[in-house]
Amino acid sequence: MISFLSSYQSLADQILIYSVLAMSQCLVMRAGLFSLAPTAFAGIGAYTMAVLTTAHGVNPVLAIVCGVMLATLVAAAMALATSRLRGVFQAVATLALVQVMVTVGLGWESVTRGALGINGIPKVATTGWLLLVVALATWLLWTIGRYSIGRAFDLIREDETVAVSLGISVMRYHRFAMILSGLLGGLAGALYAANSHAIQPSEFGFSMIVAGLTMAVLGGHKSVWGALLGAAILISLPELFRVFAEYRSVFQGVLLMLVIIFLPNGIVDSLLELAHERKVRRALPSGDGGNIDTKARAT
Amino acid sequence: MLLQQLLNGVVVGSVYAIFALGFTLLFGVNNILNMAHGSVFMWGAFAGLAAVTYFGPSFPLAVVVGMLAGGLLSVLLDIVAFRPLRRRKGADMSALLSSLGANLVLLSLAQNLSNTKVMRYPFGIFPIVNFQVFGLRIQLLQLVIPLICIVMVAALVFLLYRTGLGRRIRSVAFSESTSRLLGINSEWVNAQVFFMSGALAGLAGVLIGIAFNSVHYHMGEPFLLKAFVVIILGGLGSIPGALVAGVVIGTIETLTISYVSSAAADGITFAVLFLIILIRPTGLFGKASTVMRVQRQ
Repeated sequence: MISFLSSYQSLADQILIYSVLAMSQCLVMRAGLFSLAPTAFAGIGAYTMAVLTTAHGVNPVLAIVCGVMLATLVAAAMALATSRLRGVFQAVATLALVQVMVTVGLGWESVTRGALGINGIPKVATTGWLLLVVALATWLLWTIGRYSIGRAFDLIREDETVAVSLGISVMRYHRFAMILSGLLGGLAGALYAANSHAIQPSEFGFSMIVAGLTMAVLGGHKSVWGALLGAAILISLPELFRVFAEYRSVFQGVLLMLVIIFLPNGIVDSLLELAHERKVRRALPSGDGGNIDTKARAT
Repeated sequence: MLLQQLLNGVVVGSVYAIFALGFTLLFGVNNILNMAHGSVFMWGAFAGLAAVTYFGPSFPLAVVVGMLAGGLLSVLLDIVAFRPLRRRKGADMSALLSSLGANLVLLSLAQNLSNTKVMRYPFGIFPIVNFQVFGLRIQLLQLVIPLICIVMVAALVFLLYRTGLGRRIRSVAFSESTSRLLGINSEWVNAQVFFMSGALAGLAGVLIGIAFNSVHYHMGEPFLLKAFVVIILGGLGSIPGALVAGVVIGTIETLTISYVSSAAADGITFAVLFLIILIRPTGLFGKASTVMRVQRQ
């Protein structure tokens, strides 16, 4: 049992780290903000952590905190810019941010060592600590989602006009979501650096964007559990079925398309909706169940 | 030296413009940011190369096969990845996500097919003729590429504003449901738009493959990212905007690469994108109607 666990430990670490990234992505998507920036924030977090520990000998935990703070600051600056934009343009602006970060990582060689990346990062993010961090992050999102902020997010995503007519400031909530997404993204990146010994700029590009989005879409972005499930499925499936290993990205691409087309709410949200529907049916007097609006939202 | 670099910039910029034309056409009509456009471009170059390898080096053959392959692939994308999502709430987001998935599939299939190798068009596919004008060395290809670009822009503008198909396309772009009420087969119009967009991408792929003498599975991504900058700078959905912005970006980039460094060129390009989005999100040629689609008041 122990040897079985330890052989899959790196897989578990990966799932935990990516689920923080997926949470960062889910949070913005829940607020109806179409941001691809979690990858950029992860890059900032990872590089801050790596540079501080390897070049300046800073305590790794302090370095992780610094990485998270810097990512949050950049997210705050981004939030001011993107909250004025609509839908697809938020995607373009944040994609530009990701590209700027990759370019900085490749070009600022005196600090980031260019395409070679940074080696020898102390491995402090062990499975136990990762579990703790993920539990904290889940609790944070769960709490936020239960109160008015979560409801405002849901309303903005479903219908912006209704949200505005109810006096909800879309810009303010979008800024908040972006900043929180920066915090989680930076955390995911810093943990990634603290878990993998070496990082390169190219890791924080297109492939990570697609991975984060696939996890968020696969699990579903309304519920907290979607990010965890999405990360778990996407990371573990290719490992469990070795056949997929060679065609890993074909598999990932097909999965993304299938989920978007056939299960647009993601696994967890669809299941929750189904459960809610059944509960409503049962509560109603028999024979009348077909007439009500069963599409009423879960949670 | 400066003039020579300017010429190179215009040539590269023309290809950016051809690539971005298809991209901006899709956005203008269907409100779709097609992230798989770069892969269509790459598959166009692959198809042109395959045709040339089987039937012998011929420039027109490569161009025609590349355009056909790009167009057909793009229609296939429409059927598989975009059509099921149309008329759904928040369709632009899910279309973007689904095209990201399609892009990944096309990219890794190409990687497996080419074994991650860099391939080349056969030597002599395009006659090498050099001109000397005022001390400038101009190759025939460097004249042909901007010419093709201008012809394509003219043809597209003519098609959109002077033909029946163009009228149908513009009406679908304005409102798909209204045009269906008027008896326009909107799915067929969309398929035609996707074919044109893909054919332009395939053309750009063949031209780049010949001009830079290299075809590989990863060639699409930098062009896709440049196309974002081009269409934002030019104004979304604007065809003259794509032409002007393509040439401007190509020139700026070539000059920066030759006088500063290639890393700086990328940095400057994306900084331009950033500033445009912050200061004037509608771009150079954006109309008042685009403002509503871009910004909150």
